[in-house]
Amino acid sequence: MRLELDAVSKRYGSATALDSVSLSVDDGEFFTLVGPSGCGKTTTLRCIAGFEAPTEGTVRFDGESMAGVAPESRGVGVVFQNYALFPHLSVGENVAYGLRFTDPPGGGTRDDRVAELLDLVDLAGFEDRDPDSLSGGQQQRVALARALAPGPDLLLLDEPMSALDARLRDRLRRQVKRIQSELGVTTVYVTHDQSEALAVSDRVAVLNRGRVEQVGDPRELYHRPRTRFVAEFLGENNVLDAVVESRPETGGIRVGVGDAVFTLAEGRRVLGRARAVSDKRAKNDGRDGDRPARPEPGDELTFCVRPERLRADAGTNRIRGTVVDTEFQGATTRVRLDWGGTELVVAVDDGGEQSGAGFEVGTTMEVGFDPAAAHIVE
Amino acid sequence: MSRASASVRRAARALEQRLLTLVAALTAVVLLVLFYYPVATVFADAVLADGRLTVEPIAAVLTSEFYLVDIIWFTAKQAFYSTLASLALGLPAAWLFARFEFRGRETLRSLTILPFVMPSIMVAIGFVATFGRNGTLNRALSLVGLPPVELLFTLEAIVVAHAFYNAPLVARVVTAAWESVDARTVETARSLGASPRRAFRDVVLPQLLPSIGVGATLTFIFTFASFPIVLALGGFQLATIEVFVYSRVRDLAYAEAASLAVVETAVSITLTAVYLRYEASQRSAGGAANPLPRRSVLPADWTPKSTLRTVGIAGYALVVGLVFVVPIASMILASVTGGDGGLTLANYAFLAERQATGASFQVKPLPAILNSLVFAAGTLVVAVPMGVTMAVLTTRRYRGRGLIDVLSMAPFAVSGIVVGLGLLRGLVFGVDVLGTRIRVTGALAIVAAHAVGAYPFVTRNVAPLFARLDGRLVESARSLGATRTRALVDIELPLVWTGVVAGAAFAVAISIGEFDSTIILAEGAGSYTMPVAVERFLGRRLGPATAMGCLLLLVTSASFLVVDRFGGRWGEL
Repeated sequence: MRLELDAVSKRYGSATALDSVSLSVDDGEFFTLVGPSGCGKTTTLRCIAGFEAPTEGTVRFDGESMAGVAPESRGVGVVFQNYALFPHLSVGENVAYGLRFTDPPGGGTRDDRVAELLDLVDLAGFEDRDPDSLSGGQQQRVALARALAPGPDLLLLDEPMSALDARLRDRLRRQVKRIQSELGVTTVYVTHDQSEALAVSDRVAVLNRGRVEQVGDPRELYHRPRTRFVAEFLGENNVLDAVVESRPETGGIRVGVGDAVFTLAEGRRVLGRARAVSDKRAKNDGRDGDRPARPEPGDELTFCVRPERLRADAGTNRIRGTVVDTEFQGATTRVRLDWGGTELVVAVDDGGEQSGAGFEVGTTMEVGFDPAAAHIVE
Repeated sequence: MSRASASVRRAARALEQRLLTLVAALTAVVLLVLFYYPVATVFADAVLADGRLTVEPIAAVLTSEFYLVDIIWFTAKQAFYSTLASLALGLPAAWLFARFEFRGRETLRSLTILPFVMPSIMVAIGFVATFGRNGTLNRALSLVGLPPVELLFTLEAIVVAHAFYNAPLVARVVTAAWESVDARTVETARSLGASPRRAFRDVVLPQLLPSIGVGATLTFIFTFASFPIVLALGGFQLATIEVFVYSRVRDLAYAEAASLAVVETAVSITLTAVYLRYEASQRSAGGAANPLPRRSVLPADWTPKSTLRTVGIAGYALVVGLVFVVPIASMILASVTGGDGGLTLANYAFLAERQATGASFQVKPLPAILNSLVFAAGTLVVAVPMGVTMAVLTTRRYRGRGLIDVLSMAPFAVSGIVVGLGLLRGLVFGVDVLGTRIRVTGALAIVAAHAVGAYPFVTRNVAPLFARLDGRLVESARSLGATRTRALVDIELPLVWTGVVAGAAFAVAISIGEFDSTIILAEGAGSYTMPVAVERFLGRRLGPATAMGCLLLLVTSASFLVVDRFGGRWGEL
């Protein structure tokens, strides 16, 4: 099923929860809404499910407006963070609940369908158990089975993993992804966890303060964030404000950050736009890459460099900073540098027990990045 | 064929989707007809004379020294003293319940709900049997050679009887607050240098004050509108507004009664509105994860201080026994005591004989019992769906919610006398609607009045459970295809049914004990109930009245057991 949100706004009194959100989710797609708490992702989900009515705008299922359609008539499966299993019903009765209102898809009996779904979530034989007797992860899988039992056209997952511990969350996430692709059900997943969003999704929408910041596939969002917010929200990033100095014949842009001068590439990756010319904001839903206007000398711009792109042994743009803090993280060591009052994070590959050991707090460290490693944001 | 059945299914579903709205609308209509219309009738009596608007009756009340001093001022005065007495008797109990461990603590705690379900006329009988000319007290005094005392028809008797009713309420409310005090806040104060006394004053007391305020305000509201106790223990010499309204109604002076009722209702509604505002701002989160520890009532070592405390507790226990146990025991004792002081079943035999041979105008026990049960059943049928619907409406958010809250809780603030009077003057005497004269019988009107009085108790028992339900349960059910009504029936009601049962038991108890409106509506009719029978017997002979009171005690104790078993709550009071 194809889901569209067309300029959906939701206001509570004077507070705006959603500000003209437009999205489209393709049939069978695993689509994630990610953002900090209060960004409107859950409100978006509730508007799709029909628990909230948009103040303005339209939600469409396969082109059909859902205005005035009750939640029970939308054919949407919902899984909540706290599972919301019916505590007075057994696991089997929970899964069978939706089948009270519709015939089991596939033409079998209700019991067959319940068994099939419990098998799908690896809980075969749990029919008669009491939901309270299950672990959090098991309860969550029952909730998933219950949502899928009537064969919904759309599955909505509202922070379904947040209450689980990290290891279980990883495993369950892979299971949800596997089931989703097996069934091919269009899925909207809400999470505040950016690493989760990047790991499972076909496409991701980053929301902030009720607005869509950017929509794209995980790699595009990670490497080519359009805004400073997206750059900082997805993964770690070093975001620097700069002034354009010149545009040399040899290509690229020369920018000044404080006393330092860096060369940034202006290739395919440089999709941001300089602020001086950004007043002509193009309306877009984030899917077509917006081509930047050419920054001119004197313009201000912001660019970012990922910690793993700052390297001690390479890079033409050189930076010397003082180590203020190190964190050993296993595969890498995070080194925090003070560079003339600006803090930079460097991810140092751990090449064995000895590597990374040399960064004592207070020592000087030199790192560099290539022009192509920098990415200009709005 | 299949198309026809599909369209039937669609129609049923459409109906189901609107059912909750329909029931809500029906509830509103019932409230309008059975509560707001009767109350408006009373107001109209007070401000209309021959179809013209007039302030004369109300002005007459407000400028009469007799009404202002003897009635209104006395009503406020006895309510004030009753509140003080209830606090004095209730607060030590809260302290004992919250801070001490002793056998029967839990049982005693749950017994504090008993007065709510006790018919006030029965409590009045108990006090007559204790303090009357031939009561337990005077017999005890004569045994030790002291002259008898006359306590009936004094302010003291009324105040003590009111304390019987309201001290348990104070104890309940304050105990809950005391138990929700986090011990760590006291420990923090102590570690910062506060003495135990200082820590109590600075940390514990501020957390108790709101609950003490709630208990005191409620006691004042209840005792301000008290009727049967003042009627039985004060007679018409010491009359509150309620009692005087009743006496005016008996004299058929409706305009005067109505004016007085309007004044009383205005005061009660103001007090209740203040209370509801206050309560809403003070609602606490419930039991603390880390409550203050409890110690044994018997001290481990007998220091002067601990001895004093133990003696104090023992003295308090004695007073509690006198106020709470003696009246009930006296009533039971009086019911099996003959005129000569010996044990006898003559009083019960009198009831049986009256049943067998009594004239038609005389009050018979069996119809009273039957009427009570029938009215209770009728109340149940009306009040439970109304109360549950109101609970659903008051735990959801929507525009105009505040207005619904106030309108639905108004029956709390309006006395049974006023509702009874309004029903009598309106629907019972007959109302012209589009040229047809509509009349309801006294019995129907009594059920209506009982239902209006009882449904807020259902709401108060069910609403907190609804509020505690995770809203996503209903949303899950709806996303799975259940209509709002189906979600209510399949998911919510099974999860709040203990509250529904407790509320239903409250409704039954209230209907069985209800006196204020019943005595007005049963006037002259055959639809008297057990409390009305008690009052009629009480006017002539104490013995049969106590026997009738014992039957009443039996029935209300049964409802108490049900309420207690299902965790009944007086709202979160």
